[in-house]
Formats: sequence, structure tokens, C-alpha cells
Amino acid sequence: MTDLLFLCWMAAAAAGAGVLGAILGLGGGILLVPILTMFFGVSLPYAMGASIISVIATSCGAAAGHLRSGLANIRLGLFLAADTVAGALIGASLVGVVPERVLELLFGLALAYSAFTTVRQLHVEVPAPAVADPLALRFALSGSYYDQLLARDVEYCATRVRRGAVAMFAAGVLSGLLGIGSGAFKVLAMDHFMRLPMKVSTATSNFMIGITAAASAGVYFGRGDIHPIIATPVAVGVLLGSYGGTRLIVSLRNTTVRKLFLPVVLYLALSMLLRGLGVWH
Amino acid sequence: MALRTERLVARLLFFGGVASVALMLAGLIALEVHAAAGGHAVELPRVAENRQAGRSVDVFVSMPALVRGLRQRPPDPVAIATTGVVVLLLTPVAGLLAALVGFARERDGAYVVISALLIAALLFGFALRLGG
Repeated sequence: MTDLLFLCWMAAAAAGAGVLGAILGLGGGILLVPILTMFFGVSLPYAMGASIISVIATSCGAAAGHLRSGLANIRLGLFLAADTVAGALIGASLVGVVPERVLELLFGLALAYSAFTTVRQLHVEVPAPAVADPLALRFALSGSYYDQLLARDVEYCATRVRRGAVAMFAAGVLSGLLGIGSGAFKVLAMDHFMRLPMKVSTATSNFMIGITAAASAGVYFGRGDIHPIIATPVAVGVLLGSYGGTRLIVSLRNTTVRKLFLPVVLYLALSMLLRGLGVWH
Repeated sequence: MALRTERLVARLLFFGGVASVALMLAGLIALEVHAAAGGHAVELPRVAENRQAGRSVDVFVSMPALVRGLRQRPPDPVAIATTGVVVLLLTPVAGLLAALVGFARERDGAYVVISALLIAALLFGFALRLGG
């Protein structure tokens, strides 16, 4: 295989990750890292560096589209990103202090419970209106978007904001402590605690992941883990794929997005529990 | 329908992404031209092997080194591509700056403060890692 063809295949794989990332509110690293290491022979540090590039490129491509369509809520994203970044800074300073396996077990159990509640909510298209949270009113954590499938404007307002903020902070601690992405946690916190429409949760997560990834990107860059020759096809593919994903999501139901998201939560819950039990590293 | 601040941030994120990808592609094309003229080839397995073997690799890890690479005549192709990487890494910060400006125009003090705090946290992280 020529180098050019090799790079084109890599860009195509990244485009697939970008489409899924834009729909599910993830950076694509969960897919991209195994693909790059197993099928393209990229070593793990470079694959992790490419994953950071993928997260930021997904965020740029997807958030641009989601903000235009009104699916991503910029105030909600910034309010929760502040909690996540604060958690990540504290998490990074706790490396070596807190027993990581205990945390992995706790988060694995929390994710397993989230998977259970996701199954229960599988057929909920739009959450029923609830009593407005004073914090949501104070910080304007509400909005509306036009749903093509329902052919109407869907209005929403965040509930249980404190719980959502605590979940985001915990996701940040985990991200900083274990060096893993936290896109799935962000989506779950918005979907479960704050009872936002699933598409608003994934679209707003897309906006937030770029900010939290940028917070740790300097570490990868400084270590020399971001190789431009690997980063280029990944960025091109992910940017195109994620922008395409934003066109696709408007024609999907919230229930479809939640069904697509369920395997990701199950995979994360299982991997966290196995890591916590010391079975898988 | 997107509001003014949302449109501003969306535009910045989109063009930041496009500009970074354009620079990365320009660097990659320059590297191919350089290789065709007898320079070093784009050889991914070698890159991966070097890293795995713990050898020095053809990447830039600090801003001063990157600037030196760009100042060469002709500029180092890897430095051009790496500039694209840096532009991409800084795009979320630029998005936050646009949000700050938008919220300031809307006189939304709470979100001006939140945006400013996030920008400060990100820039602090960059300065810490890329200075040397």
C-alpha cells in the first residue's frame, strides 16, 4: 500500500469516527484509538495524540453545525465545562494520591446504573416538562430547537442543575486522574440528571469536549505524542465526518440517538469495572 | 435559529478547523515534494517504530522549536503541518474568546466571567507545557 493510499484510508476511518462522534457527543477516541493501533499499526502514544486531535476536530466541525441548528446550547455548555475543567485540574493534582482502581470501580458501577436507566428511557422522545430549577433560570439553561421529525419547536429547560454540575465535576476529576475522555459522562449527566432532550445533550457535549480536550492537549503536544503526519488525515477525516454528522442528526429521533448511545455506555461500564477489578488494563 | 453569539462562535470554530486542516495538508504536500526531491520520505511505519524504540522522532514539542522550523528557508514542512496542529489546539480557546465578546455585547456578566475563567485555565495549561 502506498503512503498516500494509507493516509486516505486513515482519513476515511477518521471520517466514520467523526460522523458517530457528532451524533453521540463523543470525540471519537473510543473508536479511533483501537482502529489506529490495530489496523494502521500506529503505536499507542501516537494513537492517543491523534485521539486528542480527533476530539478537538470533532468539536470544531460538530459544534459549528450544532450551534447553527440550535441543537447545542452554548450557555449550558460553558456552565458545565467550567465544572468539568475544575474537576480535571483537581483530578490531575490527585494522581498518585487517590486509589485509581477504587475510583474505576465506583464509576463503573455508576455507568452500569446509567446503562440501566438508559434502557428504561429508551422510548422517551422528549422529556416531560418539569418544574424549572432556580439555577437554570438564573443561568439561562434553557432553549428550543426545531425538530424536523416532530415538525415543531421543542422547548426545554434544565432540571436538577446541582446534580448535573456535580456529575460534570466528577467526570472532570476522572478525566484528569485517569487521562480518559469524558464525553459519555457529559451526555449522561445532561440526559439523566438535567432531563434534556438527547440530541441537545449530545450536541452540547460536542461543544464542551473541545474545551476540555484543549485543557489537556498541551500535555500530549509537549510529550511529542501528536505527530503531524498522523494528525493530518485524522483531522481532515474527522472534520468532514463530524460536519456531515450534524446534517444527519437533525433527521434522527432522540430515541434513535439514545439507542446508538447505549452500546457505548455498556462498553464503558464494562471496561471501567474490569479495570477496577484489575482484570483489564 | 442560532442567535448572534452562537453564530459568531460557530463561524470561528468552523474556520479555525478549516484553517488548521489547510495548514496540515500544506505541510504534508510540502513534505511529499521534499521527499520527491531527495529529502526524507513520509514513512509511517518508521515513525511508529522510532517512537516505540524510544528514538528521537520528527515532531515539534515546543513553540520556540516550531518557530525556528518555520523561519528556515524553505520552511520545514513538518513545522508547517505542526502549525496546523497548534492552530487546531487553540481553536477552542478562540471559540471561547468569541463567546466572551458575544456575551459582553449581550451584557451577560455571569457568562463573561465563566468564559474568561475557562480561557485563563486553558491558556495557563498551554503556557505551562509549550513554553520551553
